[in-house]
Amino acid sequence: MPASVFRRMAAEGGRIPLAVDLVLHEQPDPEAILTDGERLGRVLEAHALRYGSPAAFPRMDLRLEKRDLLHRLGIGGEEADTYHFLAPPTEEQLARVRDGAPAAFLPAHQAHFDSIRYIAEVTSLFPVGMTIGPFSLATKLVADPITPVALAGRGLGPDDDESIRMFERSLELAEATVARSIRAQLDAGARAVIFCEPSANAVYLSPRQLTAGSDILNRYVLQPNLRLRRLLDEAGAAWFLHDCGELTDDMVRILGETLHPAVLSLGASRCLWQDAALVPADVVLYGNLPTKTFYSDAAMPVERVAELAGQLAKEMKALDRPFILGSECDVLYVPEAAATIRRKLEAMVAA
Amino acid sequence: MADLQKLYEAVLNGDNKTAVAVTKEALAENADPIELIQKYMIPAMAEVGKRFECEEYFVPELLLSARAMKGALELLRPLLAEKGAEPTGRVVIGTVKGDLHDIGKNLVASLLEGGGFEVTDLGADVPPEKFVEAVQLRNANVVCLSALLTVTMPAMRTTIEALKNAGLRDRVKVLVGGAPVTPQFAKEIGADGYGENASVAVNLARDMVKASSHAC
Repeated sequence: MPASVFRRMAAEGGRIPLAVDLVLHEQPDPEAILTDGERLGRVLEAHALRYGSPAAFPRMDLRLEKRDLLHRLGIGGEEADTYHFLAPPTEEQLARVRDGAPAAFLPAHQAHFDSIRYIAEVTSLFPVGMTIGPFSLATKLVADPITPVALAGRGLGPDDDESIRMFERSLELAEATVARSIRAQLDAGARAVIFCEPSANAVYLSPRQLTAGSDILNRYVLQPNLRLRRLLDEAGAAWFLHDCGELTDDMVRILGETLHPAVLSLGASRCLWQDAALVPADVVLYGNLPTKTFYSDAAMPVERVAELAGQLAKEMKALDRPFILGSECDVLYVPEAAATIRRKLEAMVAA
Repeated sequence: MADLQKLYEAVLNGDNKTAVAVTKEALAENADPIELIQKYMIPAMAEVGKRFECEEYFVPELLLSARAMKGALELLRPLLAEKGAEPTGRVVIGTVKGDLHDIGKNLVASLLEGGGFEVTDLGADVPPEKFVEAVQLRNANVVCLSALLTVTMPAMRTTIEALKNAGLRDRVKVLVGGAPVTPQFAKEIGADGYGENASVAVNLARDMVKASSHAC
C-alpha cells in the first residue's frame, strides 16, 4: 500500500521540508535542469537523501498544467502565465481539451514526468508526483475568480451571470487538464501524487455562504477532486492533498472527512495539534512550519524555528497521530537569503 | 421617489443590480451624487469593513460589496467630474516583477475603487520602470506593491529605489502587502506602510492621502 510509506515516515519521526527548489539552485545551471528529466530526477534524489526521506518529492511548479492547457488551445509562450479568459471557453475549446488527440507536453512538464520516471526506475526511492488541483487551476484561468464563486454561492447559475459560466467552463477545462497530467505521472511511475489546492480557502469560498448551506465547496472543490482521485485509486497510488490557504475548522474537517487523503498538508495559519481532532485518525498530517518567513532573520530567527519545530513535534507526539514535520509550502530559493533559509531548515530537522 | 436606504443596503449586501437600479432612479430624480456617495455608499462600505474585521464578512462579501459600490460609482463619475469633485486619491497598483499572483492585488484595487480612489492597475509581473511611468502619467499619490512569493519580494525594494531615482519618492506613499511580507520587511525596504489585508490597505491609503493633504 503506497500510503503506508507516509505512515512509516510519520512513525519514524520524519522531518522533511518540500525544498527541492533550494537543492536545484545549488546546481550550476538550474534553468537547464528544469527541462532535463534525468538531471531533475537527480535533484529530487539529492533532496530526498539530504532530508533522509524514503520518498522523492517533486519541485512545486503550479504553472505547468496551465501552460499545458493553454498550449493545447494555441495560447503559448510568455503570455500563458498571465493569460485569463475574457469570455467563457467555447464548446469547441472544451471538446478539444476533453476529447482531443494526444498532444506532446511542453519540455518542462515532460521533464517533470521524466524526473519521476528516473526516481521510479533508477533509484529505490518512492516516487511522488505533483499537480495543481482543479479548483486552483480554474482560479488561474480567470481574472477575478472570487466574484463568480461568490455569486454561485448565492444560488446564481451560469444563465444568471456570464462570469459564472466562464468560471464553470474553466473548471471543466482545469479538471480535464489535471487528469491528463496525473495520467502522465502515473505512467511515469508515480506511486503518490500531491494535489496542490491552495485556492480552496476562505478567500475564494465564503465561510459565511458555506455556513448558510451553499454547495460551492462541494461542487467546485470536492467533486472534481474526488473524480480525479479515482485515477489514483485505479492505479493503486496514494493521494497527498496540500492546501496552504486560510481555512476554517469546518473546511479542514470537510477536506479531511470527504476527501480522506493519505496525507493532508496544511499551511502555517493552522494549528496542527488542534486540527488533528478534525480529520480522520488515519490521515497523516504534514506541515506546517512558517517557511515563507524563513528568509528573514528578524521575522523568524533560527532559534524560533527550532522552538516551533520542537513544540509541534512534541504536541503531535502527545496525540499519537501520524505526522510528518515539514514546511507550510514549497520552500523557494531566494538568492540573497538562501544561506539563512538553509540554516533554518537544518534547525527544523535537528530540533 | 427612490428609496436611498436601499442603496445603502445594496452596497452592504453586495447586490450590484439593486445598487445600480436605485442609483439610476435617484439620478433621474436629480439626486445630488455627492450626497449619494457620502450619506449612503461610503457608510455602507465602512460597515462592510467593520463586518470584515470582526469576521462576519469574508473576502467574497467584501468583493461583492465593492462591485456594487463600483457599479453605482460608474454612474456617478461623469456627474462628479462635471462638479469638479476630486477622487479620494490616485493609486497605482501592481504585483511586482517576477510575480504572477494577482488575486490579492485585484482585491485591494477593487476596494480602493469602491472607496472612491482613482486606480491604475498595472497587473502582475510589473517592472519598476512601469510603476515609475504610471506614477508620472497619473500623478499618483499612492503606490501599492504586491508580492506573494519570498523570491519576488526583493523586487519591492527595487521598485521603491526606482521611484527614488526618478525623484518621485517624496510625492508618493508606498504601501506593500502579500503573504510573505511583514511590517519589518516593509520598514527595511523603506515602504510607508504594510497592509496585512485588503481592508487595512484601503484604510491606510485613505489615512495617508488625508495626512499628506493636511501636510500641504
